[in-house]
Amino acid sequence: MRVLVVDDEPIVLQSCRRVLEAEGWEMISASSVAEALSILESITPELLLVDVKMPVHDGMYLMRKVREKRPGIPIIVMSGYATSETIKEAEGLGAAIFLPKPFTPDELAGALGSVAKSTSRD
Amino acid sequence: MFYSTRSKLLAGFLGVTLLVGAVSLFIGVHLIDQNVFDEALNRVAQDLSAANEMYLSRVKQLKTSLSITTLGFAFISSVSERKTSDLVIRLDRMARLAELDFSGIVAADGTTLCRMGPNAFPGPASRGVNPLAKVVLEQRVGVSGTMVLGRDFLISENPELAERARIPLAHRPDSGAVEEESSGMVIAAAVPIFDGDALIGALYGGILLNRSESIVDGVRDIVFQGETYQGRSIGSSTVFLHDLRIATNVYGPEGRRALGTRVSREVKEHVLDQGKLWVDRAYVVSNWYISAYRPIEDIFGRRVGMLYVGVLEEKFTHIRGQALKMFILITLAGMLLAAAAGVVIARRITSPIQRLIQASKQVREGSLNPELGPPANSEIGVLQKAFGEMVEAMGRRRAASELRIIHSEKQASVGRLAAGVAHEINNPLTGVLTYTHMLLRRKDINTEIRSDLQIIAEATERVRKIVKGLLDFSRQTKLDPEPTDVNRLVGAAISLVENQALVKGVAINFHPGENLPQVTLDRSQIQSVIINITINSLDATEPGGHIRIFTAASLSGNGAAQEGIEITFADTGCGIPSENLNKLFDPFFTTKGVGQGTGLGLSVSLGIVQRHGGHIRVQSEVGKGSRFFIWLPIERRVEHESVGG
Repeated sequence: MRVLVVDDEPIVLQSCRRVLEAEGWEMISASSVAEALSILESITPELLLVDVKMPVHDGMYLMRKVREKRPGIPIIVMSGYATSETIKEAEGLGAAIFLPKPFTPDELAGALGSVAKSTSRD
Repeated sequence: MFYSTRSKLLAGFLGVTLLVGAVSLFIGVHLIDQNVFDEALNRVAQDLSAANEMYLSRVKQLKTSLSITTLGFAFISSVSERKTSDLVIRLDRMARLAELDFSGIVAADGTTLCRMGPNAFPGPASRGVNPLAKVVLEQRVGVSGTMVLGRDFLISENPELAERARIPLAHRPDSGAVEEESSGMVIAAAVPIFDGDALIGALYGGILLNRSESIVDGVRDIVFQGETYQGRSIGSSTVFLHDLRIATNVYGPEGRRALGTRVSREVKEHVLDQGKLWVDRAYVVSNWYISAYRPIEDIFGRRVGMLYVGVLEEKFTHIRGQALKMFILITLAGMLLAAAAGVVIARRITSPIQRLIQASKQVREGSLNPELGPPANSEIGVLQKAFGEMVEAMGRRRAASELRIIHSEKQASVGRLAAGVAHEINNPLTGVLTYTHMLLRRKDINTEIRSDLQIIAEATERVRKIVKGLLDFSRQTKLDPEPTDVNRLVGAAISLVENQALVKGVAINFHPGENLPQVTLDRSQIQSVIINITINSLDATEPGGHIRIFTAASLSGNGAAQEGIEITFADTGCGIPSENLNKLFDPFFTTKGVGQGTGLGLSVSLGIVQRHGGHIRVQSEVGKGSRFFIWLPIERRVEHESVGG
């Protein structure tokens, strides 16, 4: 299973890789929306883990793009500080789960696991 | 056009003063004119009476002189004995004493016994020709008065007398028949001479008025007391034979007595023909006179002449001129005084007003301690006091609203700082949590390391909770909702900022909607939202613009139609460029200068409204203005409290 993790913070990407690879995921990382979009040109991950607040384009922008091109990919949105407005917007764009930062490895793995499970069930 | 109150007041004062002055001048001049003229007429009428009295007393004196003479015993015996030489001496003596021009004695048969003058003993031819004696002898009583005697009589009495009586006419009359007046007008008397009861004769005597100066000058000297005006006697007197001046002290232009001139046709008709008194101004010979004429009747009751007195009109013109000058001076002085009083009063009224205007300028420029000047003890004083109280109230309210604004911004900025810090901490905290937990998963670590890692994990968990608490605090201070009348809330909020609007010159108009339901909300927080948005509008609006605020019942636009109310803020300000519209509620976003805005007001306001379950919309057009719509639900739905993290 491949997951594309998009965050501008290296420590977040690093942490995710540490946990996800231990859990058996193949993780591709992108530190910007542009990088994520170029990766998505060639690779189709089973899951997307996206930070909201990023410079240039934010996670909402990326979700909209992904919804246009790959409507089937489930998306988990993570954020260090989210208003109810942000959450509503993310849910409106089809985010499967909203994952507040910081999270423990169990919480991250659990979120991914439940999404993967519901996807495979569908 | 702008006219200051002072100039209006002054114009009013001066206008009234000028009007009153003009009216009083007009009336005064008219009254003085009339009074002086009336007074002159009165005086001249009195003068004429006095002159007439003098004339009559002269007649009486004449008769008395004659009567006394006839009472003397010697005189009677001389008459009865016809001692003419003795009688002539007596006549001369009497005539000298009584200033007679002619005198004589007529016997009972009508012949003239003797007379004074060159023709002393006329003889029998003179019988019956003496009209005076004739009356006395027929009626046996004395007569006296005015008579007109023909030239023949005068010649027979005394040729010199006849010569004196001749008066050449100054102007030829229309007929041209008579070129001189030769009749004599006399005042004369005749008294009977009795010897016992027997009438033995008559004594007569008289004064020729033609060219006589004694009567007219006597009138002038006694009635007018020699008063002069510019070298001329102001009074004049004349005796007319018919309409002809025969004795006068009216002088012609060449400086001679104006003998032989005639009176005007008008006076002649009025006085001679109709027998009336004439009192009016008249042109006499060469000057205007205030003049009076009365008819003179002779012994037989016929109007034979006129008596005239007159006063130079110039004298009265002069008096009138003096009075007018004085009156005009007094009136002008009064007007000047009134104008000066007007200036002083106007200044006293307007100077406190000027100071109030200055004070209101100071207030407009931001001062709340304007100089009002000394308190005036009039309605202006009340105005000053009210103004002072208004400014004081403005100061209090401004202070209160500033305090509230500062308080809400301070609260928001503390919250925002916490939020920013928390957000930044969450990323590294993810790393700490991840690696601690990954280490804890390892089986190859000893108990001591495990317990150390456990402590790190627990401590990190605590940090996570603290950060979550910080975020919760920043995002949602606890709401204290209660049912509220939104119109009252909005009105109260506006009253806190309307002083600022007043000072800036922007009108705030509140149009409360009718029959609005009560809304459950946190009054203090929603009020700070209203204040915040109103102040933003105020800052964006130039002086002269206006802000309109409406409230109305409205359904939520977010799909589920929920009942609520909408507060609309519409300003005529500069508007918001479309590229800024979506950043408007971002924390720390501001277009105001450094230090003027924190960039938190709108994001805090949005947070408060959102926590009430409401939302804020914005419409804006650059250069035309902006509209902010706050929608609040009537009842707050339970919000997802677990938001964020």
